[in-house]
Amino acid sequence: MTSLLRIFWLEVTALVRSWTALIILLATLGWMFAANFVLVTDATEDGAREMVVRYGLGGVFALLVVSVLSIATGCIASEREAKRLQLTQVRPVSPFAIAWGKFLALSAVAAAVLAFPCATLVCSSEFSGLRCSHVYRPQMESPAEEAVKMYDVFMADPETPPEAKKAKKSVVLRLLEQRAKDNYQTVGTNETAVWAFPGLHDWAAANADVDLSVRLKFSNDFDMRDDVRGTLAADGFFGVVSNITQTAIVVPLVRGGFAAERDAVAFRNEGRAPVMLRPRQDVELLVPADSFAWNLLRSYVVMVSVLAFVAAFGIFLGAGLSRPVALFTAIVMLAVSEMSPSVVEQYPDQLETDKIDRIGLAMTRLVERGTKSVSSLSPLSSLAEGDCVERGDVAETFALDFFVLPLALCLLSGILIRRKQEQ
Amino acid sequence: MEDSVIRLEKVSKTFRDFWLRPTVAAVDALDLEVRRGEVFGLLGPNGSGKSTTIKMILGLLSPSAGKVSLFGLPPHAKAARARLGYLPELSYLHPFLTARETLMYYAGLCSLSRAEARSRADQLLEMVKLSDVANRAVGGFSKGMARRVALASALVGKPELLVLDEPTSGLDPVSTKEVKTLVKALAKKGMTVLTTSHLLADSQDICDRVMILNRGKCAAEGKVSELGESLEEFFLAKVGSGDDFALADFLA
Repeated sequence: MTSLLRIFWLEVTALVRSWTALIILLATLGWMFAANFVLVTDATEDGAREMVVRYGLGGVFALLVVSVLSIATGCIASEREAKRLQLTQVRPVSPFAIAWGKFLALSAVAAAVLAFPCATLVCSSEFSGLRCSHVYRPQMESPAEEAVKMYDVFMADPETPPEAKKAKKSVVLRLLEQRAKDNYQTVGTNETAVWAFPGLHDWAAANADVDLSVRLKFSNDFDMRDDVRGTLAADGFFGVVSNITQTAIVVPLVRGGFAAERDAVAFRNEGRAPVMLRPRQDVELLVPADSFAWNLLRSYVVMVSVLAFVAAFGIFLGAGLSRPVALFTAIVMLAVSEMSPSVVEQYPDQLETDKIDRIGLAMTRLVERGTKSVSSLSPLSSLAEGDCVERGDVAETFALDFFVLPLALCLLSGILIRRKQEQ
Repeated sequence: MEDSVIRLEKVSKTFRDFWLRPTVAAVDALDLEVRRGEVFGLLGPNGSGKSTTIKMILGLLSPSAGKVSLFGLPPHAKAARARLGYLPELSYLHPFLTARETLMYYAGLCSLSRAEARSRADQLLEMVKLSDVANRAVGGFSKGMARRVALASALVGKPELLVLDEPTSGLDPVSTKEVKTLVKALAKKGMTVLTTSHLLADSQDICDRVMILNRGKCAAEGKVSELGESLEEFFLAKVGSGDDFALADFLA
């Protein structure tokens, strides 16, 4: 334990005395300050929050990810190249303790640096009155279950391409699952769509003084051409939908109005054209939660966890490779892991006939699956949109990104440190 | 009590490339024993395998064949390392730490408590005559001062075995003499010392026994007192005088 604390202290001292921590801190605060002048908002509190969080805090986070990665890859690699590592290794210290001590130090410094820009946001009177909302989506069959149900119909359909009929069942199921996620529901003029939200009735009865809202997203061009008009009704709540240009609207619901189905939200299209929505993605029930400051605190924990994972990953690469190679590899892998979800989403077709494309897609999908849990920067998106970063997600991310994965990476780093000294 | 502090039995080390093809046979079937309280010198020309042997003793390298033991334990065992102090050929200090912090850092790695580490650091700084600059960052130290800090770091964990790689390298004659006196004093107190040096006169002054390595093999081993008047002459006789190096002919 003493040796772990010593390694931790040494790394923190090096970061502070080399001015590295201070330079990064000044850069982050400078960016937050400059963002106030550079970013143009729509003059609403929500708009300002979205811009400042997405681009101000987002810029700070991106800067920290790159900085942490750069420092982490040098933590062990530079020490080894300067031959200082062997002086630690000949003491009664395990290689794992060396990696873990450095990881904790780097994570602590990153957390301390990130705390300052977050504190400036909390102290800003502009956001003090804002609240966040819990977001609920309609209860539906999972895309995987829907894909299984659709399989026989799809294969029997004469319009199904022959490549699909020849393909493996698992490939077709993946394709159908992706389609299920993107399935549009058409609500014709004067028609009503009903989406299930279990527990809504009881919640409304228990929280008589709290109002709800519904967020509708219009992501296709079709809806943008025509004015969308209609009404929303939920257990004892009522709201009016009117949208011309916005891609997403939040409709406040007031108590009263016509009776709707129990535990459900109903949308009646009263416009001139049909409305197309993907219920799994485009319909959200918003329930008021706590303040912006609490939400920022939870986002902060998630961001620190992601930074900790990045630190552990950089240390792992630095343990096995020279610093320039480790840094290059880390940046390439970071970029691929960030891009892979959108590539998989935009090119979902498993039936790609070109062999090279198929291999590329398979590799991208592999990276996307492997890095799914850590590549998401969603706390910032949620914070920007006023969505609550849920405690369960925070706990899960913290356990995985700050503890389980770094522990595994530091154990592997310990093995690599020992192997590398043999060369 | 185990009398043998370091024991190498038929130890070989062959370095391999990425494809695991052998590239260099650095040490070949070496037998070596260093006994408690002894000052042992490992001598040899450049590339003779001294550093590789020391790294195997320190547990930084694993032998390709044979067995290395330190206090009867494998060299990477924590219990063995806790009884070891090491001074590398170059000082390799953390430039942002002060002399006192450097010693306290290594004391912490040896599991000394904070108070114990502080008192040990002050004691050693006094010994290497750096008390006046104890709070200065070692990055600004001269080579000689840095060497003294490194020597103090090697001693901070109260080791029973001290491994010194070229201990007088970079020191002026006065400091060299002080280091030699220190090694003799430590040996008198019962500490075992393994040292390498290119300065044969230094080895002659401080070592009880020496081993001369040449091309990874033991060329000679024995007590300094039994090797004749000049260790240098003995050394040259064993590893070659260098006359085959035809620089004079080339220049002529």
